[in-house]
Amino acid sequence: MRRLLVVLGLLVLTGCYNTSEAAGAAGGGPSGLAGAPAQSFDLRRTDGRTDSLARHRGKVVLLNLWATWCAECKSEMPALERFSREYAGRVDVLGVDEGESAGAAAEFARAHGVTYPILVDETQQYGGTYVALGLPTTVIVSRDGRVVKGIDGALTLEQMRAAVAPALR
Amino acid sequence: MTARPIALACAAAGLVLAFAQLLLPGSPVYHGWQYALALAVTIVSGVAYVARGARGRDGARGRRLALAVAVAGAVLAELGALASGLLGPDTSEVVGTPGTVVPIPALGAAAFFARATPRTIAGADGAVTLRRRGAPDVGVASGGRAALGDSVLFLAPRPAAYVEAFDERGAHLTVTQPAAASFLSPVLLFPQRQRIGAVDVPLDTFAAPALHLTVHALYFTPADLATFGHAGLAASSPALVLSAADDRGRPVGLAMAPSGRTVALAGLRVRVTIGSYPALAVAAAPPPALLYGGLLLFALGLGWAALGGGGVPGTVAEQSRTPTTPEATTGGAASVPTT
Repeated sequence: MRRLLVVLGLLVLTGCYNTSEAAGAAGGGPSGLAGAPAQSFDLRRTDGRTDSLARHRGKVVLLNLWATWCAECKSEMPALERFSREYAGRVDVLGVDEGESAGAAAEFARAHGVTYPILVDETQQYGGTYVALGLPTTVIVSRDGRVVKGIDGALTLEQMRAAVAPALR
Repeated sequence: MTARPIALACAAAGLVLAFAQLLLPGSPVYHGWQYALALAVTIVSGVAYVARGARGRDGARGRRLALAVAVAGAVLAELGALASGLLGPDTSEVVGTPGTVVPIPALGAAAFFARATPRTIAGADGAVTLRRRGAPDVGVASGGRAALGDSVLFLAPRPAAYVEAFDERGAHLTVTQPAAASFLSPVLLFPQRQRIGAVDVPLDTFAAPALHLTVHALYFTPADLATFGHAGLAASSPALVLSAADDRGRPVGLAMAPSGRTVALAGLRVRVTIGSYPALAVAAAPPPALLYGGLLLFALGLGWAALGGGGVPGTVAEQSRTPTTPEATTGGAASVPTT
């Protein structure tokens, strides 16, 4: 009887097995980064200087990732230029050209009257870190270097004002 | 063979099986019935031996107790391993684009996938750091392992390629991955597969929006390449087959791209660096307290028994009973009192 119980016990135990199955997960993107430290990379600007997010610590930063081939980016630029003038001294606006050469970015910015600094991110370091869905992407960074908000898609001037409001309080 | 050697052999084998989950993590074997059966046999053997010892059937009380402690320690570790195999989650792979953060709610952690450069892709040097609130970071490097709660983490390399695109004048162009988790990552991770003849190859897609091109990239291992016998390629390293299409989906170019060489493709110049980038594998593991506690008890029990079991003789009743038990007289009963 005891042996029978042992055998039954073994059968019950071994009957509970399950099988291995690979499962994937993916994530990232600006909206999921709110509250996280904003990653920063040193890049060359179109005016030849070196700049990065970290160099603007202590100020609210609006980081705008764009490219010359991106029609939405182009349509957003006038509002961004106006915003940068309106919030001068309170918010630093940084444009980051993704994946293109400095010459192309500088020519495009000049042609569209952009005066805020443009960083040239040939190896798409900011893009690979912050962009999930497409261009343009805007990331608001607080004075202490944390992501306040990440937004996919082109913004209007009103939306830009609303986006930086929490960081300026 | 008598009860004691069998029990000790089973205990040692059970410990090996239990620690295998830590040392060789992620195998589907641990979730299979054969593994569970083997552990169950060692557990039953251990429990039977301890019960037998409690009835005073294996020598002097001190040694009996020492060996019971050893076997019970092994049983603890085996129970942990059995529970982990039967009830623990299946091994899963968390795939992250270089430079991104992937939350892992089951571990209460976020995985930071290290940025990648052509050099790190070629050298398979990817790393992942797990961050938890109020706890130190846990870094997992290539070839390494880390225990976190009831899980063991390790890196599983996957084929990867770093893509750099240029126009015909050599100006850098944006590379996008419209279908990937990270739109602007220049690193292809080949999440899909495509069957070509007899081979099943990893597939990924990128775009060069400035030139209105979409490029499918098929990853061929040296073994795959050898089957095709392409004259221009060394079969000692992997290569990509790139197939470009325009905005309407019409094929406009095809090129074979070995690692590190720039190739022309429908007005685009592409340089790919082929290698690997890791996914984070999360496998169930026995609770470390049970595993290491069990191992410690096993070692202490064996040590104690080797030193003579503490020299505590059995009771008079046990002594008078022991020689009458047939197993005790044949089971290595060196410590059975003879008076």
